[in-house]
This record gives sequence, structure tokens and C-alpha cells, in this order.
Amino acid sequence: MPHHEFDCSTCIPERKQHAVVKGPGETIADALPAGYLSTIPGSISERGCAYCGAKHVIGTPMKDVLHISHGPVGCTYDTWQTKRYISDNDNFQLKYTFATDMKEKHVVFGAEKLLKQNILDAFKAFPEINRMTLYQTCASALIGDDINAIAEEVMEELPGVDIFVCNSPGFRGPSQSGGHHTICIAWFKDKVGTVEPEITSDYVINYVGEYNIQGDQEVMQDYFKRMGIQILSTFTGNGSYDDLRSMHRAQLNVLECARSSEYLCNELRVKYGIPRLDIDGFGFAPLSDSLRKIGLFFGIEDRAEEIIRTETARWKPELDWYKERLRGKKVCLWPGGSKLWHWAHAIHEEMGVEVVSVYTKFGHQGDMEKGIARAEEGALAIDDPNELESLEAMYKLKPDCIFTGKRPGEFAKKIRVPYLNAHAYHNGPWKGYEGWVRFARDIYNAIYSPVHQLAKLDISKDEIPTESGFVTRRMQSDATLSDDVKNAPELRQYTGKFDVIPDLRNKTALDYPYLRQDSLEQLV
Amino acid sequence: MEDLMNNKVELLVNYIMKNCLWQFHSRAWDRERQNREILTWTKNILRGDAVEPTELLDRCHWVDAKVLAHSYQEHFPWINDLDKAEIDSLMTSVHERMDFLTITGSKNLELTDQHY
Repeated sequence: MPHHEFDCSTCIPERKQHAVVKGPGETIADALPAGYLSTIPGSISERGCAYCGAKHVIGTPMKDVLHISHGPVGCTYDTWQTKRYISDNDNFQLKYTFATDMKEKHVVFGAEKLLKQNILDAFKAFPEINRMTLYQTCASALIGDDINAIAEEVMEELPGVDIFVCNSPGFRGPSQSGGHHTICIAWFKDKVGTVEPEITSDYVINYVGEYNIQGDQEVMQDYFKRMGIQILSTFTGNGSYDDLRSMHRAQLNVLECARSSEYLCNELRVKYGIPRLDIDGFGFAPLSDSLRKIGLFFGIEDRAEEIIRTETARWKPELDWYKERLRGKKVCLWPGGSKLWHWAHAIHEEMGVEVVSVYTKFGHQGDMEKGIARAEEGALAIDDPNELESLEAMYKLKPDCIFTGKRPGEFAKKIRVPYLNAHAYHNGPWKGYEGWVRFARDIYNAIYSPVHQLAKLDISKDEIPTESGFVTRRMQSDATLSDDVKNAPELRQYTGKFDVIPDLRNKTALDYPYLRQDSLEQLV
Repeated sequence: MEDLMNNKVELLVNYIMKNCLWQFHSRAWDRERQNREILTWTKNILRGDAVEPTELLDRCHWVDAKVLAHSYQEHFPWINDLDKAEIDSLMTSVHERMDFLTITGSKNLELTDQHY
């Protein structure tokens, strides 16, 4: 498996160690990109910082909390409302964010008084919220502000208030991944075990590494409840601060994004003996296996099989409609850390697309092992690419669509490559059986977008067809399909609703007959 | 004969690599334990010898093995025709190959990084 050198990066020879091509018959023991290293000077990275990783990815999805950054307002601006981690309390944590707005004078004279006043003001402004997460930034860390001491002072002055301190300034690690690690360990050390939960089921899990992007957590929560499982906490999407303090009482940690939160599961396993089960919530087969394993763990596998049977019968014909029309299309999986391996195999098997490249902005070598192992031969695997490398890869590989973040997504559009937002989604949720169909629908819409087809023409040099009419998606996608496929009565396009989350939130106890009666009463 | 055996081992290993996540824990010692526990359970399930465990940590390994064994039997029906000795031999080879790919032959420098 040879390392790959980009033409644009020959002036940065170290970059060659960060990309490989998966050759025929080769394995991850033949070559692996370097990973989780500081970005090489001169290579303009797409990464975020450790503060961003701690706050933006992991801390802020907690829903019933005042999230406050101690630093210049720009740090908070960059983490505010840019990700769609919704919550069932009217998105409180998305609507409100707080910063101490440090200025030059605070750097000179200290900003602890400013911090304390901001904390008091925030609690005063939202008296119904008595939980807070407090984040260190580069500026406040460098001047040595003792934010732990301020938090202690406030907790003494305001009984009933609880504050979690996260010391993860931007420079604490090569990327946002350093922040994931820091906040996981801090939460485990400072908060887990400080609340005793009410156990309402014989089957109790923590759902870890799930951030409720456009409702992913609520989709999975529905499956778990249908199986009669109590979700003690979700780390952290749609998660509650106090629920997450009681993680030590679960029987099983169900781990979705190992990249961001395996640290927490490993600590819970060592200290409390709670096993860690890594799962995939994406893709019919991987999700079915995941539900099956959780069912087997608790001895309720028949309940899992019931869900698998029902959901597959409902949604598989729709997935297959898109598969027939996406077969052979080339895609790049260019997410942040974990989706390259969550998706690499399932999307190839179940949607028929060819994954020509996987990359990770902040993943470790372990993520590349998973991603390359799951990708097919010929895939180009890149660690921490810069913009020029991404452009070169797109010109060379000519993907029909890429799945990535909004920064590379924007320059992809400029070279007429459609992109879907892998972090925040387009029309999610994408987890679950219906979600996987929605993902396929979004890919279909991106690749066959009539507007996008028109955008491929350059009016400065291309001949603009004036004789032909408007070409719809369906006219493009069905042009080469056989009549048998085109007219297959069992296949159909997505028939779900525009927004699937309200129906989940409107469910009552009657929809979850396996949950115990005392639990049901709380749900009604 | 050896080639045939190797082909079968590669098929089973490839299935794990494409469909499972348990083999990729972040530390070498953790991967050794995962491979050993889950592949031993898988072997015993395929042999028909496995007794359902009661301890939580054991059950977690067992459920990964249970689903893997079922998938093997479904996707590679020839495995149902093997006798116990042949299953032992096959799964020993799978275990060795998995240890090589994920531990001893792995290029992942974090596996043994004391500061990680």
C-alpha cells in the first residue's frame, strides 16, 4: 500500500506520510497514514482546536445547561449554532450561549472578576437553569485565570447550582480530538457518580458518543424504548446534565462515536465494570446487528428482531429504489473522525456507490485502520488534508458527490462537485432505518440536481444548449435503467415526512409496552 | 489444501474487518483481550459448546461472538459442514491473522504509546 504524494504538497515532504492508496490485496498492516499529529507548518489544515472539540462537539449538546466560554467572544462565535444538535427542550442550548468577552485589558489585569460576574449574571438571567459548563480558552489559560476556583466560589454562594469546569484551551492537543479526550476524562473524574438515578427498567444503558444531529439520538432512543430499555444518559446529544452524572449505574455502555468518547467508556469499564459495546447506527445491516447484540446482551433478542423485521419491511423497498439509481456513483467520505468507518462499507453495500476516498480531519490512526479496512481497493485515504490536496483529489478522482464539512464543501461546489454536510447533515436524521433512506435520498438529490447540472456549464466557453428543455432528476437517473427496474412495483421513493422528529416526541407510554409500568407513568 | 484453508481464513477475517468494530480498541492489550475473548467465544459457539455467560463483561464479548458466528453460518455455509477439530484449526488461524493485522503487524503507533 504505497504512500501517496500530492503534486501540490511536494514542497511539504512530510505530508507524504499522511496519505495512502489501498492497493489490490493489501491490508492495513502494509501501510497506514500518520495521524493525530500536529499539523505541519505550511499546510493549511481544516481542523478545529481542542477548545472547539471539547465545547462544540461534546459539551454543548447537553441540553439543560448554561454553556459559558471564558475568553474572547470570537471563540464562542465560532462554536455557536454551527451544528444541528437539537434537543427536546426547545433547543435551549442552541439558542443561548455565553462568553465573558475578554478584552486586552483583561489579559493585562486578569479576568477572574469578569468571569465571576458573568456566571452570576447568566444564572440570574435564566433562573430555571441551575447547571453550567465552563470552558477555558487559549487567552484565559495563558494568563493563568483559575476558573476552577471561581466555579467553587459561585457554587458556595449559590446553593443548588452545579458547575462543570473544562480546562481544554485551544492549544491542548493537535486538533479538536485533544479536546474530546480532555472533556471525557474531566467529566468522568468530576461528575460521574455524583447523582444516584432512579432505575425504572431491568435493562439499563448509557448511550455514548451520540450527539443528536438533526434527531439521530431520538431515533435510536425510540428503538431502545421499544425494546423496554432505560437510557440512563446520552453522552451528550439531547442529554441531561444530571443524567450524565449517574452514568455509573448502567449495565452497558452502547458506544457510537468511539473517536470522541471511547475514553469515557474505557474509564467506566475499569472503575465500574460496565462493558463497552461498539455499535453502528447507520446502515440496515450494521444497525440490525447492533440492535441484535443489545437484545442478546439483555436476553430480549426477540424484541430486537421485531423492530428489525418491522423497520426493514417498511423502509428497504425505498432504500433499494435509490440503490438502483446510485449504483456505481463515486463518492468521497471526508468527514471529521468517525463517519468514514461508520459509512465506508455500509454505503457501498446498501446504496451501491463506490467509495473512492476516505479522509479524516482529526481522526487517529485507529480510525484510519477502521476506514481503510472497510473501504474497497483503490480508495485514497488521507489524514488531515489541506485545501489544495482536497482539490487535487477531486480533480483526479472526479467524485459524483462528497460528504464533508462546510469548509471543504464550499470549495467543492466551486469546482462543481456536489457535497453533503457530513457533520450537520442536509435533511436528517440519517441514523436509523428511515434515516438511512433519507441519506440515500439526499445523495440522489445532490447528484442529480438539475441546477447542479446547469452549473457544470461554463458560460464563458461552453456551448449553452437552447434547444433542449429542462431535465429533471428522474429523467437523468432513469436514463440508463432497464424497464424492469424503472417499473418495479416493489420499489418506491422515500415516502416519509419532511420532519420525522415531532412524531417521535409525541409518542406516549402506550407506544412502549415493554417499559415497566412505573417507568410508563413518568412518560405519560 | 493449504491455499484453500488460507482462502477460508481470509474470507472470515475480511468479514470481521468489513463488519465489526470490536477488534479496533485503542490499546494493544485491549485488542489482545478483545480478539482472544470474542474469537474464543465464536469458536465455541460454532462448535456448539458455548454456555451463555452471566457476567456483564463476558456477555458483552459473547454477544459480539454470537452475531459473528451467526453471520459466518449464514454467509459461509461451508462452515456448518466442519467438524470440531476443523473449526478449532480454522478459528486458531483466524485468531492469529487478526492478531497480526490489528496488533503485531499493525502500523498504528498509538497502540503502545504510553502518553496517549
